[in-house]
Amino acid sequence: MSRAKLAILGGVIILIGVILNSSLFTVRETEQVLVLQFGEHKRTVREPGLHFKIPLIQNLKVYDKRVLSVDPDAEEMLLSDQKRIFVDAFARYRITDPRRFFQTVNDEAIFNNRFGNILTSTVKEFVAQRNLEDLLSEQRNTIMRGIRDSVANDTEGFGIEVVDIRIGRSELPEAVSQTVYNRMITERARQASQLRAEGEENARRIRAEADRQQVVIVAEAQREAQTLKGEGDATRNAILGESYGKDPDFFEFFRSLEAYKETFAREGTTMVLSPNSDFFKYFGNLEGGRDRVSGRQVPSQ
Amino acid sequence: MPWNSQGGGGGPWGGSGGSGGGGPWGGQRPTGGGGMGGGQQPNIEEMLRRSQDKVRRIVPGGFGSPMIIIVILAILIGLWLLSGLYRVQENERGVELLFGEWNGNVTSPGLHWWPPSPIGEVLTPAVTQINRLNIGFRDASDAGGRGAAQRDILNESLMLTSDQNIADVDFTVQWRISNAGEYLFKIRDPEETVRAGAESAMREVVGQTALDDLLTTAREGVQDKTQALLQGILDEYQAGIAIERVQLQKTEAPAPVIDAFNDVQRARQDKERLQNEAESYRNRIVPTARGEAAGVIQEATAYRDRVIKEGQGEASRFDQIYESFKVAPEVTRRRLYIETLRDVLEKADKVIIDSNSEGGQGVVPYLPLNELNRNRTGSGAQQ
Repeated sequence: MSRAKLAILGGVIILIGVILNSSLFTVRETEQVLVLQFGEHKRTVREPGLHFKIPLIQNLKVYDKRVLSVDPDAEEMLLSDQKRIFVDAFARYRITDPRRFFQTVNDEAIFNNRFGNILTSTVKEFVAQRNLEDLLSEQRNTIMRGIRDSVANDTEGFGIEVVDIRIGRSELPEAVSQTVYNRMITERARQASQLRAEGEENARRIRAEADRQQVVIVAEAQREAQTLKGEGDATRNAILGESYGKDPDFFEFFRSLEAYKETFAREGTTMVLSPNSDFFKYFGNLEGGRDRVSGRQVPSQ
Repeated sequence: MPWNSQGGGGGPWGGSGGSGGGGPWGGQRPTGGGGMGGGQQPNIEEMLRRSQDKVRRIVPGGFGSPMIIIVILAILIGLWLLSGLYRVQENERGVELLFGEWNGNVTSPGLHWWPPSPIGEVLTPAVTQINRLNIGFRDASDAGGRGAAQRDILNESLMLTSDQNIADVDFTVQWRISNAGEYLFKIRDPEETVRAGAESAMREVVGQTALDDLLTTAREGVQDKTQALLQGILDEYQAGIAIERVQLQKTEAPAPVIDAFNDVQRARQDKERLQNEAESYRNRIVPTARGEAAGVIQEATAYRDRVIKEGQGEASRFDQIYESFKVAPEVTRRRLYIETLRDVLEKADKVIIDSNSEGGQGVVPYLPLNELNRNRTGSGAQQ
């Protein structure tokens, strides 16, 4: 065979390759493909794998089959009570009818723009019918679902399915946040001072109670002490009385003598005496003078 | 090029008819003729011819024959097929695609083969690995995190609570791939979806919790509720993701307010402290008073006992003396009297003045009290 034939063979092979390349295409698991002929839609391919198309005159438009996201920026909006709030909502959607999608918006970027606008305005609409309390309650879920249904309604014509719409951040504007902070601060300050006041009151009460107890205990003890002492004195008097009462005269005599001893029998006492005392009875008189007590002259029996 | 040699050469179909001699291998040497060759570099030509011979010996037909092309093609195809080998690590699973289509199988760790690109493709997601998302803050594990410093992202972390207060919440989500097919093919950006879903879920749960509860008792509940909510959202999207755990890292009042909050804590401690101080005061003075009371009573009791004993002693003494007195009253009376006066006068300073003495010169009593006093105190001091 000649070289020329070889070349022709090679060329044919290459040509076949090119044609094959142009008529075979793969669709991945994550893709869905429109087959267009001269810009006109011919068929939609959503199953993954290897597929055929007419080479050269048919071309492809590839769309994502997965769940896609749209997240417009947070915007400030009004609540039903005229308060302002920043709400950030995001959406998840799928292209379920790529042909429709192609006919209406053609590509994702354009769609995201329009969808974002629809989303934001729907959120504003719903928020304007609620106050902050609702957004923070179990109703949040209901509100989100309402927004989803409304947006799904508005975007039906685009060939998409709205999978979910959720509210992400809902924040108060800066000035309002400041007000909230101030309120939080004053509330805590009030709590703190109340706690401290309670503490002081309790402390005072405990101390006063303790003082009272102390006084009572001591007073009672004093009272009992006095009773005891009184008991002692009374018993003593009774004992002595009983004993001394046996002979009052002798008692008086004896006790007086004791008293003299106790009082005068000390150094430093100066006594100026008269010799008329019975003690000196035998001083001047061998037989003793007058007995002072009886007054009789001694001796006399 | 050796196989473009001019003249005959070549394989069975090469060259002009020429002489059909030689073997089918065409051992004819190219007859020089023509311009080329000749005297120029005969060595190289020699080498070329020799190499051609060698090739012809190995490969029938030598260069330019279809055999060599086939061999080269075979080698290339073999290499290409070899590139279809792939390894699946312990924490991965293999997902095989044929022309972009998944065959539904998941291959286990080890060495496998699958037609290489552009026919087939293999993805190996890490299905047992637990991934971690930080929301509200960034730490060393985040891409672009600076060293180990933890930064708070206020945009993400400040949230509204049910009583319209603002809380600063940092939390972590741990997730893993539960279904490789869903994870790879159902959602375009699964990690971002988890993040956005987690933030939304946490805000929803926090928005239904009061600030005080959030800071204290409700933490567990918030974690569980958020996890359940987030898992529900992801299941609705068919994300093929399982949330292992939602963990609150920090729940605090926002920075401008935190001092006031801490002050409440301090006030609580102050209240305790004041009460404790008062109680310790009470614990001090009441027992002291009791002790004092016991002492007073004890003293009085001692007094009573002493006084009674004294009385008994005195009475007993008196009784005994009286008994002995009764035996000889007069005599005892006098004896006692004299003994007493003796005791008394023995110790005292005595001055005896007889105002009745006969022939008295008349002593005028003059008592120098001052001197007496001085003497007394003087002698008293000496004692």
